[in-house]
Amino acid sequence: MEPDPKRRKGMEYDSWDVVPVLSDEQSQDLKLLDAYAAPIMEKRETSRLVKELATSFPLPDLQHIKRVRACKDKNTSHPLEVIVCLASDVPDQECKGRTGPTLSDLLCSQTFDPRGLGEPFLVQIPASAPLTRPQFERASKHWPTSFHEDKQITSALKGQLFSSSEKAKMQEHMMEAIEAARSGHTLGMDAVGAVVVDPQTGQRLAVAHDCRRGTHPLHHAVMVCVDLVAASQGGGAYQYEKYPACRYYVPDPQVTTSHMDVSALESHSTSDKAKENGQSYICTGYDLYVTREPCVMCAMALVHSRINRVFYGAATADGALGSRYKIHCQKDLNHHFEVYKGVMPQACEELLDSK
Amino acid sequence: MRSQSGEEPAGFLQPSDSEVQGWMDRAFHMAKDALENGEVPVGCLMVFKAEIVGKGRNEVNETKNATRHAEMVALDQVLEWCHLRERDVKEVFKHTVLYVTVEPCIMCAAALRLLNIPLVVYGCKNDRFGGCGSVLDISSDDLPHTGTYFKCISGHRAEEAVEMLKMFYKQENPNAPKPKVRK
Ligand SMILES: [Zn+2]
Ligand SMILES: [Zn+2]
Repeated sequence: MEPDPKRRKGMEYDSWDVVPVLSDEQSQDLKLLDAYAAPIMEKRETSRLVKELATSFPLPDLQHIKRVRACKDKNTSHPLEVIVCLASDVPDQECKGRTGPTLSDLLCSQTFDPRGLGEPFLVQIPASAPLTRPQFERASKHWPTSFHEDKQITSALKGQLFSSSEKAKMQEHMMEAIEAARSGHTLGMDAVGAVVVDPQTGQRLAVAHDCRRGTHPLHHAVMVCVDLVAASQGGGAYQYEKYPACRYYVPDPQVTTSHMDVSALESHSTSDKAKENGQSYICTGYDLYVTREPCVMCAMALVHSRINRVFYGAATADGALGSRYKIHCQKDLNHHFEVYKGVMPQACEELLDSK
Repeated sequence: MRSQSGEEPAGFLQPSDSEVQGWMDRAFHMAKDALENGEVPVGCLMVFKAEIVGKGRNEVNETKNATRHAEMVALDQVLEWCHLRERDVKEVFKHTVLYVTVEPCIMCAAALRLLNIPLVVYGCKNDRFGGCGSVLDISSDDLPHTGTYFKCISGHRAEEAVEMLKMFYKQENPNAPKPKVRK
């Protein structure tokens, strides 16, 4: 007997991690700025010093920076340290020929009572607010900042956003996409497959493989899938009878109602409203599973279609959801969505190699 | 700017100013016609060696497919034109110019690259979705696996194109009277 393909080694859902594709702002290292801090030698002067520093050296673009920090070294004589000013606030001449400016250099142009403040030292502070826990942890090594944590991103980065039963379902959907890719490949197409799913009901709405080597050079798997979803809603621009693995399902309304919770009802009512307005937000609330990272055309088609989330297996060189562009979080665009990569990467990468 | 002159496909002759003007007049005429019929006022023509081989208007509403922009519809017509005449699709696209009243969006710009269109002439910028410099620069970015970059000539009757779009979106406002939708 043939081994069950789902049971092949390395394809069980505990062998891969779903990796969120975050924006550059969320994933890059925070930039650091040079600043001068000084010890607060007399604790009772703290609030006065902070108030006067805020007036003399306001830090309007650095709202996330906590002006005062507790001294890391418990053995020092001073318990607190305060940011005096940014290094860029100090005219160049001040430091010439010396190791660094003194407190009176920093305060020379200010009417400021430096009582209780020690000699300044150079520190680096994060130039922007941390957006993720890893950024926050790195930032905190330099200087304390405030952090409004997005709990979903934190658990996604730890690989804990999806339960094992959710991953098992993801695997089923991706398997369907992989099977579509294989069907297409036997017809001479590139081995790429895609599936659109309604996550509220778990129902599959459309399955497609790449058809660009067939009658239409732009019929990438994602474009076919989008058109099939339109067909399932009474629209659609093309026929795919040559490609039986490309198909759609009309959603079963009974499944929709029996499995729907309150939040699902709400999200459905907004998409219904969008449809009543005559806007074709055909993929509102839906998830796409695709074996490889979409190209620019396909990624932007998903923006126009208002997809909810995209899961892909293998990255591609010109890919538009993480590799070359991040169209799902591109500033200026009117719709953004979540993207996760690394779903069954091994099986999906094998497809890339099939010639 | 990157010099693109050396890499134009052999035999592709850039249209003269008066040709450009003539085709853009046709595209604007189409856009005006669309506006009068309550449709997205974008005019779009594909021209192969002085012949119109594709013409498109936005078909998003009737197909419920949000990717059916005028350019995508026009590209389909060029494919159809090639099939009917048994012409080599790649060869035809390599010598086809797109004339469109509004900058193509990111999706359409990528589609034009994938089909190796050498030149796009457009009217106004598309600040919301533009793929030829406004939001992203798909037309000229270095994308070795996404067809070939194309040249753009922009700004032709730009104000007029913007004005038509503004009028359309005013109509789209739910408080404004509904335009009749042509089947
Ligand atoms: Zn694609
Ligand atoms: Zn477009």
